[in-house]
Amino acid sequence: MVLHGNNSTISEDEAALYDRQIRLWGLDAQKRLRASNVLVIGACGLGAEVIKNLVLAGVNSLKIVDHRSVTEADSYSNFFVPHDSEEKNVALASLERVQNLNPMVNVTAEALEISQICDNYLSQFSVVCVCGGSKEEISNLNNKCREFGILFFAGEVYGMHGYFFEDLIDHSYVEEVKAKVETGKSDEKESSEETKMVKRQESFIPFSTAIDIDWTSQKYGTRLKRTTPSLFILNVLHEFSFLHKRRPDPSRREEDEIELLTIKNSLLDKLSVPQGKLSNDFVKSIFGQVSPICAVVGGVLGQEIIKAVSGKDAPLNNFFFFSPDDGAGVVENFGY
Amino acid sequence: MAIHINGVFNNNLINSIKSCKVLVVGAGGIGCELLKNLVLTGFEDIEVIDLDTIDVSNLNRQFLFQKQHVGKSKSQVARESALRFNPKSNIVSYHDSIISPEYGVSFYKRFTLVMNALDNRTARNHVNRMCLAANIPLIESGSSGYLGQVTVIQKGLTECYECQPKPVQKTFPGCTIRNTPSEPIHCIVWSKHLFNQLFGETDDDEDVSPDAADPEQVGEAGKNALASESNDKGNVNRVSTRMWASSRNYDPKKIFHKLFHDDIQYLLSMDKLWQKRRPPIPLKWDDFIEDESCTSSKDDLIKDQRPWSLAHCREVFSKSIDDLKKKLNALKEGDHLVWDKDDDSSMDFVTACSNIRAYIFGIQQKTRFDVKSMAGNIIPAIATTNAIVAGLIVLQGIKILQEKMNECKTIYLNRKPNPRKRLLVPCVLDKPNPKCYVCSEKPEVAVQLNVEEMTVKTLEEKVLKGGLNMVAPDAVVDGTGTILISSEPGETDANNDKILKDFNIIDGTRLSCDDFLQNYNLLVTILHSKEVEGEFKIVGDHEKLKKEQEEAFNKKEQNGKAETAVPGGSKDGFASIVDDDDDLVCLDDSDVRIEEAKKRKSEPEPSEVSKTKKIKLDSEHEIISI
Ligand SMILES: [Zn+2]
Repeated sequence: MVLHGNNSTISEDEAALYDRQIRLWGLDAQKRLRASNVLVIGACGLGAEVIKNLVLAGVNSLKIVDHRSVTEADSYSNFFVPHDSEEKNVALASLERVQNLNPMVNVTAEALEISQICDNYLSQFSVVCVCGGSKEEISNLNNKCREFGILFFAGEVYGMHGYFFEDLIDHSYVEEVKAKVETGKSDEKESSEETKMVKRQESFIPFSTAIDIDWTSQKYGTRLKRTTPSLFILNVLHEFSFLHKRRPDPSRREEDEIELLTIKNSLLDKLSVPQGKLSNDFVKSIFGQVSPICAVVGGVLGQEIIKAVSGKDAPLNNFFFFSPDDGAGVVENFGY
Repeated sequence: MAIHINGVFNNNLINSIKSCKVLVVGAGGIGCELLKNLVLTGFEDIEVIDLDTIDVSNLNRQFLFQKQHVGKSKSQVARESALRFNPKSNIVSYHDSIISPEYGVSFYKRFTLVMNALDNRTARNHVNRMCLAANIPLIESGSSGYLGQVTVIQKGLTECYECQPKPVQKTFPGCTIRNTPSEPIHCIVWSKHLFNQLFGETDDDEDVSPDAADPEQVGEAGKNALASESNDKGNVNRVSTRMWASSRNYDPKKIFHKLFHDDIQYLLSMDKLWQKRRPPIPLKWDDFIEDESCTSSKDDLIKDQRPWSLAHCREVFSKSIDDLKKKLNALKEGDHLVWDKDDDSSMDFVTACSNIRAYIFGIQQKTRFDVKSMAGNIIPAIATTNAIVAGLIVLQGIKILQEKMNECKTIYLNRKPNPRKRLLVPCVLDKPNPKCYVCSEKPEVAVQLNVEEMTVKTLEEKVLKGGLNMVAPDAVVDGTGTILISSEPGETDANNDKILKDFNIIDGTRLSCDDFLQNYNLLVTILHSKEVEGEFKIVGDHEKLKKEQEEAFNKKEQNGKAETAVPGGSKDGFASIVDDDDDLVCLDDSDVRIEEAKKRKSEPEPSEVSKTKKIKLDSEHEIISI
């Protein structure tokens, strides 16, 4: 674990840089944030947003891992990749600009596949966030993180759609609670609000449990109507990547659209979910990674990581979905 | 990523984005994120304007800026940094104020879309009017801490930014500040006023001396004792604080004695004030000794968060006065200093003064860190919220380009999911308010003021510019055609110090006001009143005020108790915008909304209670009501 300086004191330089956020979440939260070591796997558009938000916030260290080479698409979604870096490794190509965001954070990058990440490697981190990855990769990594007590996050943006999942295992946090207090004399009563800090505890479940839902069960059968259709987009895309070992490709749009609809039909039938739950139109808007969606999902995800490592405020347990049609960001609680 | 990669968007949208000319107003927290999203999405024709330069406290979120850019123009550095994300984009930057006359209606007409990434209401009001005048869709945004909001304004289709009255900033009664402070904020406000009295632009409303005309002390001993010294307004007549201090060469010891001893003695002589209050304790320079204890123990806190001893306050008081005196003397004759939270001596001065005064009145002392938040009205901003808001702005922009105006929404970012599991809550855009004094067909507004006291200059500066947000107004008395105020420099200077009554302006007189830059005509009806708190009051809807006054009067009759009406205070739209984690605004979450509405109906509240509640909501959520 790489630490710099005296861990319990925040220098005056840091105080000046982080002034606004210390006013918002307090010095203790900032200290815990500064003690955290984050691994971000996947230097895609969503990964770039998460990386930006965490490096600006002032984590202790952040490592970027990706095995891919830079494509043209990367240079228009991962804004850390300079436009002349095609064929370089995307994680390494991002490094310089990420470090420039905040010299106080120890930023490193490495060309690695998810499957190459061993236990020993993982154990140096307090947070792991994987952007992209197959259902199996996410599940395996999540389970390993559980063994080491590492906070785990997984997310992805598909075109105009995005989601993330979080597993904080057994998480304790403090939360501000506002209580009304009456002050002043009886004839000019003024009620003011007093803020109290309350300790809370919340348990999470792993991705593999959360994502496997039996929609024929009584519990989930009745919940189906209120469940966001975005979940089923995620199911379809996981199935697509399982079958084809890749994401839907904008340059093969026609064939991939047909394949996605075929997968949708068989998958929803298999899950006993009516076809009408997910409109076929979704295939029109799931190609590439649209930047504003990365910004929205990466913003909420980044804030969740900040909340989790600083032990402040109630976490979102356990899924967040963003859909472009109405601009809603929905929090779902699956698998319990 | 978007238009550069074939197959992500359809061709229509690609062409609309390519040919879209967008104006980004503000290159701060939201602006930086917005520029990044725009160039990555494929917007290639962007102009950005910002007056500001880069400060170190921006760097934790305004990610287009780095340490070496501190002091440089935000719009210029933002342009350079954003271009690296997409070299194909064209960005024009202006280091300038958007309110400047160079940016008239024809400037706005060049754009397809205007996106606001602003942090103040004055500029938002102005851009709102310019976009209405140019008939260009405007995407408005705001963030505060964990909360954010994005909305769309289109002339004739949606509410404009000024359709609903915004909560006014909380002010404190003069007597509380000058005579009977009871909270830290009262001492901080007093200290800022003192700064202006000593070094800044003096304002009669910011007197810091004891107020002998305190209604609690009518005609009592204190006033009699010093009657010879006070003028007709009740202020103790001591030339001016500035001249007094200047004649003593800004000697910190003498200023200290005057403020914290003599003035406090005077307050004590107003004995009625202290019958139910803890009386203040006058303080002399030598009343306390040096002590070192305060700074050693709290090592794990940052410097500004460590409490100051009284001796330390005195030391800082003395040093900051010396520094500020030097700065003032370095200026041209007649120039003055401007209080700035980021100027160390200004902050030191206010921290020391407010803590010494707090001690005298038995009020809790505050650290320099906390005083800075309160004195500087700091609304903490963070990267994540700004990123989310900027993402939502572009998504609304894409909807407009797809000609799906009917699908545009106001979207709120909440701190927690609402009962409908939503963290981001879309709400249907409201229709324009037909009585809006900005966007309606024939804008009209009523203003309560005292025609026997208000000067033409005050009408221009405080009412038309300050209150009604005009930039360079012309005002003509309706009927007589008298030109009261002209935007031509010098033309009506002779009127400046005259009282409105001198122009036969009485209750009901109408002024035809015109702002050429904003292409805005407004008919102002004057409502004469001798008792207006804070010089004047803008009454959005004249008829409604009358009705409310009548209702309040009837209520008063019924209850036999004095109550004041709050014009516009209980208006639905007003309450809705200051709402953060429930749904009463949201038309599409109809069940929750109905539940809320029921709840509100079933709790008849006396107007006094609802008024306090309102103020609290407002001060707390002022922020998200962009
Ligand atoms: Zn309006």
